[in-house]
Amino acid sequence: MKSRTVDHLFIPILPFLFLFGSLSAHSADPVYVGEQKCRECHHLSGNRNQYTPWRLSQHANAYAALAMPESMEIARLSGIDVEPVKSPICLGCHTTASTAEDWEKDPTFHPEDGIQCEFCHGPGSEYMPAEIMQDKKRAKEAGLVMPDERFCMVCHKEKGSHVAVLKVKKFDYQEALKEIAHAGRGGQLSETPAKNITPRPGPKFVGAIACGQCHDTAAGGYQYSKWHLSNHARAYAVLGTEAAKKIARDKGIEEDPQTVPECLRCHATAGAEPEDGLLESFDLAQGVQCESCHGPGSEYMAEAIMLDPVAARNAGLMEVNRETCLKCHPQEVHGKPYDFEAMGKKIEHCKPQEIQTGFVEYKTPFNLAVARDGKRLFVACEGSDSLIVVDADSGTVITEIKIENQPHHVCFSPDETRVYVSNRGSDSVSVIDANSYEVLNTIPVGDEPHEMATDVKGKLLYVANCGSYDVSVVDLVEEKEIKRLSAGRGTWGMERSPDGNHIYVTSNLSHFVKFRTPSVSEVTVIGTERSQVVERYMIPEANLVQGIDFSPDGEFALVTLIRTKNLVPMTRVIQGWVINNGIGVLWRDGRVDQLLLDEVDSYFPDPTDVVITRDGRYGFVSSGGINIVAMLDLNKMKQVLEQASEQERKELLPNHRGMSFEYIIKHIPVGRSPRGMAISPDNRYVYVADGLDDCISVIDIEKRERIRVIDLGGPKEITLARYGQRIFHCADITFGKQFSCHSCHPDGGIDGITYDIEPDGIGINPVDNRTLRGILDTAPFKWEGTNPSLRRQCGPRLAVFFTRSDPFTLEQADALDRYICTIVRSPNRYLMGNELTAAQRRGKEIFERTRDNMGNEIPLENRCDFCHCPPYYTNREVFNVGSASWLDTNEDFDVPQLNNIYESAPFLHDGRADTLEEIWTRFNPHDTHGVTNDMTKDELNDLVEYIKTL
Amino acid sequence: MQPLVILFLITLLPLFGWSEDDQPIQVNLAGEPYVYTEWETFTTELTNGALINDHIFFVKTDGDRVWIGTEEGLVLYEKGKWKSWTMEDGLPWKVIVGIAISPKTGDVWLALFGGGLARFSAGRFDHFHQLNSGLVNDVVYAVTIEGDNVWAATTAGTSCFNTVTGEWAIYTEKNAPMEEIWCYNVDAADGKVYVAAWGGGILEWDVETKIWKDYRDPDKEMEIDLYRDDGLIHIITTSASYVDKILWASTYFGMSRYDGRHWRGYMDHDSGLPSSFINFLRGRSGTSCYACTDKGLGVLIDFESDTWVRYNRDTEDAKTWTAHVMVGNQIIKSLPTNLNLPNHFLICVDFQGDDVWFGTGHGLARGMGNGYWNGLKEIKSAHNAGE
Repeated sequence: MKSRTVDHLFIPILPFLFLFGSLSAHSADPVYVGEQKCRECHHLSGNRNQYTPWRLSQHANAYAALAMPESMEIARLSGIDVEPVKSPICLGCHTTASTAEDWEKDPTFHPEDGIQCEFCHGPGSEYMPAEIMQDKKRAKEAGLVMPDERFCMVCHKEKGSHVAVLKVKKFDYQEALKEIAHAGRGGQLSETPAKNITPRPGPKFVGAIACGQCHDTAAGGYQYSKWHLSNHARAYAVLGTEAAKKIARDKGIEEDPQTVPECLRCHATAGAEPEDGLLESFDLAQGVQCESCHGPGSEYMAEAIMLDPVAARNAGLMEVNRETCLKCHPQEVHGKPYDFEAMGKKIEHCKPQEIQTGFVEYKTPFNLAVARDGKRLFVACEGSDSLIVVDADSGTVITEIKIENQPHHVCFSPDETRVYVSNRGSDSVSVIDANSYEVLNTIPVGDEPHEMATDVKGKLLYVANCGSYDVSVVDLVEEKEIKRLSAGRGTWGMERSPDGNHIYVTSNLSHFVKFRTPSVSEVTVIGTERSQVVERYMIPEANLVQGIDFSPDGEFALVTLIRTKNLVPMTRVIQGWVINNGIGVLWRDGRVDQLLLDEVDSYFPDPTDVVITRDGRYGFVSSGGINIVAMLDLNKMKQVLEQASEQERKELLPNHRGMSFEYIIKHIPVGRSPRGMAISPDNRYVYVADGLDDCISVIDIEKRERIRVIDLGGPKEITLARYGQRIFHCADITFGKQFSCHSCHPDGGIDGITYDIEPDGIGINPVDNRTLRGILDTAPFKWEGTNPSLRRQCGPRLAVFFTRSDPFTLEQADALDRYICTIVRSPNRYLMGNELTAAQRRGKEIFERTRDNMGNEIPLENRCDFCHCPPYYTNREVFNVGSASWLDTNEDFDVPQLNNIYESAPFLHDGRADTLEEIWTRFNPHDTHGVTNDMTKDELNDLVEYIKTL
Repeated sequence: MQPLVILFLITLLPLFGWSEDDQPIQVNLAGEPYVYTEWETFTTELTNGALINDHIFFVKTDGDRVWIGTEEGLVLYEKGKWKSWTMEDGLPWKVIVGIAISPKTGDVWLALFGGGLARFSAGRFDHFHQLNSGLVNDVVYAVTIEGDNVWAATTAGTSCFNTVTGEWAIYTEKNAPMEEIWCYNVDAADGKVYVAAWGGGILEWDVETKIWKDYRDPDKEMEIDLYRDDGLIHIITTSASYVDKILWASTYFGMSRYDGRHWRGYMDHDSGLPSSFINFLRGRSGTSCYACTDKGLGVLIDFESDTWVRYNRDTEDAKTWTAHVMVGNQIIKSLPTNLNLPNHFLICVDFQGDDVWFGTGHGLARGMGNGYWNGLKEIKSAHNAGE
């Protein structure tokens, strides 16, 4: 925390300090100094040997453990799709200062040292001087923290992912305390005079940490981390144990073995070396390091030399053989026999490890496009991060092109020389040569790009950004985004009107509406002449407006939608009254009609995409929930509307389940989870992307049936997670097949709606929907925090309150649980590297502040980071922050995780806050949800900017 | 009506003014200014209620469209047709005192006096206020667009909203050279943003360097200009307009022009301004500026020759307004117009092609720019004129 007092004191002397160049921008801020600095006093001094028990503990290996194959699997289970050593979530509990910026760490600090002293005791720069540490009160004032159980439990509370992979036993705080016990204080500090040592010529020891700068990558097999986990790395520390002391005593050595050259010779690299042979980076306490076997590295460590084996050898890099090891490992050491072959395997660190995480890469096709000659299909596959090109006649795969993360939609340039693919996991559009299939460029766009369309001339590309609720307009000549247009929320589908004058854009989420009022969703109309929004259709009481297509004459557009009756208790699902599924008809004159595709006893869940035949006679709508494509007679559909009165069109037809038989002429079974569709240029076929079968279904329009299945070549093995994914997208479990899990959690996220779940009265205890992205280790679940596991959440509770049918079987619940765990959390869009912006940095100070603007100490439990502590920014408890409304019967609510919180509007347990600002400007009048009423507006802005980076 | 040609009079006649010692001086008009003599006037009564309120706080043109901010809501005038939006139509707040249009998106941004900001985009109003967004204060006086940013001048500082990233920045005395945070107006062009702070002078934001610079009156708060052209004429500024890399600034005690090196100040006694109490101004070019005063419209037609046209009612009971062609403070010619608005407390002005629009405390006027020319048209010689 920045000390303003100190800053003020500095002001008069600033010019002088500048003269000496000694003032950094953050001079008064505590910084992390690293365990090596702590060790100067807490090792070999008096009885302060806290270093040894720490180094022998799992805390010291926490970072290195992230290189283990198990960590990869845990990451997968946690919805983390980057290496664990690069994941803020993993690092949050596996290293120290993971949320600190670079300037907050001294050069002596090394994240590789895992959970060091300062993780628990706070950054040490201000309290580390001996004169301060000798006075506990002063030390605490300078930032020394003495952690309690609550602090430890932030990381040690049971995590589903770790339990699943490591089979760890339940964490016992008292036992763990004994395990890491490192008490000890008092005694004289050794006065070690500073030495001025001139390094000798020739090879010198640089230390393992210097080696680790290059030798700790996934490609290199995490050599440094593997070593760190080995007994070699602990060799020095073990000398501090009672067992080592006993061995020493047995050998007649009475001194501390950690100071005796005879012991150090084999327990630490360069243990018997004079100090002029050690560079400053060398640390004897790191034990038997790389240079014990490979020789002192100062002359060969340069990358250019290491890349040339001959040069490296000439510079001193030693080859390792049996003789190397025998120096310290004769046939028997301390009574233990030595097996060179076995030990060699144990410390093997030259090969990249083969990681078996059980992860199988499916294709998961989402959308597709047909070339104008009808000969090739281009399929965007979210699961395999690829674009698959298929020969439409033979049904064979021509090629598969790896692109960016989670390709979602594909379209052509008007001349069909280019293929554009939106990558919703990378916020980009890939530009691909339609003939050579070479990826020519990648264009950054908005958040989570979904569907796209070009203008008629191919000069501009419009991209629906689902995450940022806008449309990117991309100049295709310059291949860069030139502007953003404000669209609906959760911008999703896109289609150009037949006359080329307009681009219609659907929205997955409803606009914000007043509390306890029905949804209203937008279809945005962009005029292509000026690339500006010219009209907005508002569809009342609808959400998840996704697919869209035009009638050939442009008279109307059809959109898919659902009608969620979220104001009545969900338990009324048994009356068929929670989610209806249908289409919207957007007429050219601005009128909007809605019709259901549901029937009285059989619903049409998750209508996802719609296409209209080129003659305008038929429409096809895919149902992701029941694996059906409905064929619609559009003339009959129009007749139904024309024959209805104005009032019927407005009030009756949108909810009428008895009319769909008039215009649905066939339900055509297809593969699992049908998503995007396309019609062949000759108007004979409908191609359907069967998302969870890794196939394309081919429907013969004339025969009105699926005639062929094109296999995209995905794995045939069905993993537990894949099985769960199918269950997640399947509506079989709900009464009447009204909806699937996906209906409320599209893309694993949210539908932005507040639900009334339990049968406790109309509107009582409304709860906002919550994301499923990366949530496995954020238990408990449910806003009341009463469900300890996802399995519980998806088990009996689901049947009682949501589906009103038989619950999932145990096997299904396991699979569903496994799939939900793997739903990936998107990369944070507001965190650019390790550096925060100035506003974010100021916001962080506020987030971590301990005093309000008047200087009053903020009670611990009312500080932001008390409840919202990293890495998930939840302490996984329930808490009363005064947010209960007159509709709530409960005052304590689960502390929500804040990772990517900007994706989850509206906020608070009942979704009353449309924006993050409103949480504090409107719903925290008594400072019960953190102390915020003392803040100025700019401070609140800074806080919001920081929270968005979490 | 075609603009009146006043050739022979102004080229031949030596005109006289008064020097500091009250000696008459000769004034020559370098060229012929365009004078708006034909006007359309609009009031609630004249438009049968289409103009929903006579208190016209802002006028903003966009091609054929004229957006009008009133005390009761938003009005659009387009090719002779009127449309309006009040709070019943979803307008978040009725008092609209500023309007800006994003050239990129076409979105119309509204400064809501007491209600924050609104984005009006293809029929949809989005409301940003101090409770639901990072806007510093709901008393918003003015709004302007700079790239993807929307700038709002408020009574508690200036806010900048990035429409792409969603980030709000606030500029107050904490992080800008703002002696007063009561910001009356904001304008942006050519990589600069100018804020007129009531009592704080003019602040200049450089978009590229993100550095503020302030301009204040070297005479401090004196209501006279102690040393002419030594800087901004007064720190109680009401608006700024940046065009052709020339800054025009209005204050309650006169008007200033700044070319980046030299200042030029104007008050009612030494220029064609009807009054030094200027509510708003808008530069039409680097040499021409329209100032809305409490006593009519003062138009500096040509900076170099100090040529003005002043529009106001000569007397309180005059039925129509008069246009006075002036050089400095000397009237050279007075021309009748058909402008008959009852109120000449001007609040806002904008240009639509050759036409000019201004709003007053009672009604809206449009000057018809038939045959309009910029600056000064060359004056024929007396000989030629005689021919």
